[in-house]
Amino acid sequence: MTRLTLTCALLAFSITPALAGSFASSASSAAGGSSASSKTTTPDDKLVLQARDDAASFVASDGRIRGAQLEAALLHLREHNAGAQRASDMELAQAILAL
Amino acid sequence: MSPWPALCLLLCAGSAQAALQLEPVDRSLTPDQARASRQLLADAVERLPAAWAGALDQRIAVEWRDDLPAQVHGRAKARQLLLDRALLDDWMARPGDAGLEDPATRAALAAVIHELAHFYDRTPQGRLSRDPRLLDLAGWQVSPMRLGLRISDNAFSDRSPDRYELTSPVEFVAVNLEYFLLEPAYACRRPDLYRHFAAHFGSETLAADCAPGYVVLQASDDAGQSPLLQLDPERVYAVEYLLAEGNERPMSRWGHSMLRLVVCAPGRARGPECRLDLQYHLVLSFRAFVGDVQISSWRGLSGSYPSRLFVLPLEQVIEEYTRVELRGLQSIPLRFDWSDIAALLERTARLHWSYDGRYYFLSNNCAVETYKLLHDGVPRLAGEDLSSITPTGLLRRLERAGVADGTVLDDRVEAMRVGYYFEALSARYEAMFEVARETLQLPQEDAQDWLDLPAAERTPWLARADLRASAALLLLEQAALRRQELLARDELKRHFLGGAADRPADGAKALAAVQDILRLEGFLSRPAALLPDSGYGLPQLEEREALTQETSRKAAQWREQNEWLRSEARGWMPPERQTALAATEANVDALGEQLRRLHREQGGLQLR
Repeated sequence: MTRLTLTCALLAFSITPALAGSFASSASSAAGGSSASSKTTTPDDKLVLQARDDAASFVASDGRIRGAQLEAALLHLREHNAGAQRASDMELAQAILAL
Repeated sequence: MSPWPALCLLLCAGSAQAALQLEPVDRSLTPDQARASRQLLADAVERLPAAWAGALDQRIAVEWRDDLPAQVHGRAKARQLLLDRALLDDWMARPGDAGLEDPATRAALAAVIHELAHFYDRTPQGRLSRDPRLLDLAGWQVSPMRLGLRISDNAFSDRSPDRYELTSPVEFVAVNLEYFLLEPAYACRRPDLYRHFAAHFGSETLAADCAPGYVVLQASDDAGQSPLLQLDPERVYAVEYLLAEGNERPMSRWGHSMLRLVVCAPGRARGPECRLDLQYHLVLSFRAFVGDVQISSWRGLSGSYPSRLFVLPLEQVIEEYTRVELRGLQSIPLRFDWSDIAALLERTARLHWSYDGRYYFLSNNCAVETYKLLHDGVPRLAGEDLSSITPTGLLRRLERAGVADGTVLDDRVEAMRVGYYFEALSARYEAMFEVARETLQLPQEDAQDWLDLPAAERTPWLARADLRASAALLLLEQAALRRQELLARDELKRHFLGGAADRPADGAKALAAVQDILRLEGFLSRPAALLPDSGYGLPQLEEREALTQETSRKAAQWREQNEWLRSEARGWMPPERQTALAATEANVDALGEQLRRLHREQGGLQLR
């Protein structure tokens, strides 16, 4: 019983955001490996940068893995970027990876 | 003959218009006092809604007393109303044209209204303090552990207009009716209770000049975002139940329940397109706030940690769960109409600014808090049997009640595309590894073996990858980097929390920095602490201005301390860890560069 209680005791016990990230380096952000990581970003820039993992999965899986963050970035780019309107999903995913 | 009719003012508020009839006054009152007393009582009764005055059909004897205990302004006995004579003295000393902003005027009227509220509450028409909806709004919340019962403490103690209201539901009603009748700002500061009282009395609601929308403090780690966020119900398209799936670790095996607010991008009309405006979506997440560097499970069991409602950017939550903790996120739509959404947001704002609950692992965990928020925020859900102490249990009950629509997950590929499911990044490792292995003839068996290699041994393979394999390797290399960071963090924590002998020379400074970060987070997670002694309930314009400055200052300090820790932490790590981290980062950078070069060489689209 004591054991069970302790296991339950730890359930859903989240640590504050600080402890989750204090000692980690900032390189783990979605912009890792991106040339854009050091610039100040707007929410829209961030939306696209946050799609890098999804873009990598999409490119590597030849379009099979398609996450919502990539989907959101594709929509956003097509709404705001003239060059993006004619590009295919794959071309855009590759362009996101090359940021 | 009873002495009362001779001694007292008789307050007979019989007619619908609450005409006050005054009987001969207390002989000990001078004619001036008697006149002032009549004037005060008439003024108070005039302010009562007709339904209230009409219910008080009994004769209430009013008596001015010198012998009430200190701090007690009045007493509502069975048929007598006792009032502190000092209130009458102050009332008489006030300037003739004094309005409600005059403290003596206000105090005397409030005392009379407070006691008349008790009389009213006891009538069959009243009974507000037993009204379940009033108890929800007031903060005597339902208890999931005791069927149909309510918790005995009211934890909505921050930004209370008068903490005496927390004593009991009866006092809550009396105190709040004072504010309802005497303060126009009550409609803005406690809009939920204001509307409840107005509906109860059938009184007209006034169009109060309230600050627009709500403000909440966002616990964002992004320097570009102001921590004070304007939350506009008109921009929220939907609310979804966000479940972080459990994993093998004991802390998280039962999952975590949150709510996702689908906030539309500025300028976009509310509609399904808002579901992909991910950069504006917010997450409401109840967490135990641990203002200490070490978690104690005993203290968690015994309610020593505050339970706080964190408002987080969705993207940060996706990062934290799917990439760092490697847990999937299910986002299940709740069938709410716009009035449900507006009510839920109003409740969220009230919680955010007033709630200071305690976290109990079993009886008041994240699932229970989320259940209570839904129960109290959306009145029609109060009739459903939703209560559960686990995140998955709550979801099952929401589905059974037809509130949550779990069918969105039936087609997993589509669910991932449109954001009903965010898979743990680890679910992609094997697929990524297979792509790289095929292209490069890697000798390793699986992703795990590949990630277990020292970073420097992976390096030579990277340069030979084509675009597709580079993308796959980038994802794996990022995973390796996050793993190194987690290891480093654990080592550092052990180091600092361990015996003094192991501690690095500047350990004290680091510990101080961590404690300072926690102190600042304490403010950011309990926003009422940022506005001491100013107003009650939801912050209005002036308070919002003060908040904007104060939160920006605190957030800047928080970021500064965090950055200092991050930069210094490198130096405190063992040399092997430093080497491993640097090598993995170099791999990530090299792959990023390679992807850019390959993209350029094939004439790919340039986004900037």
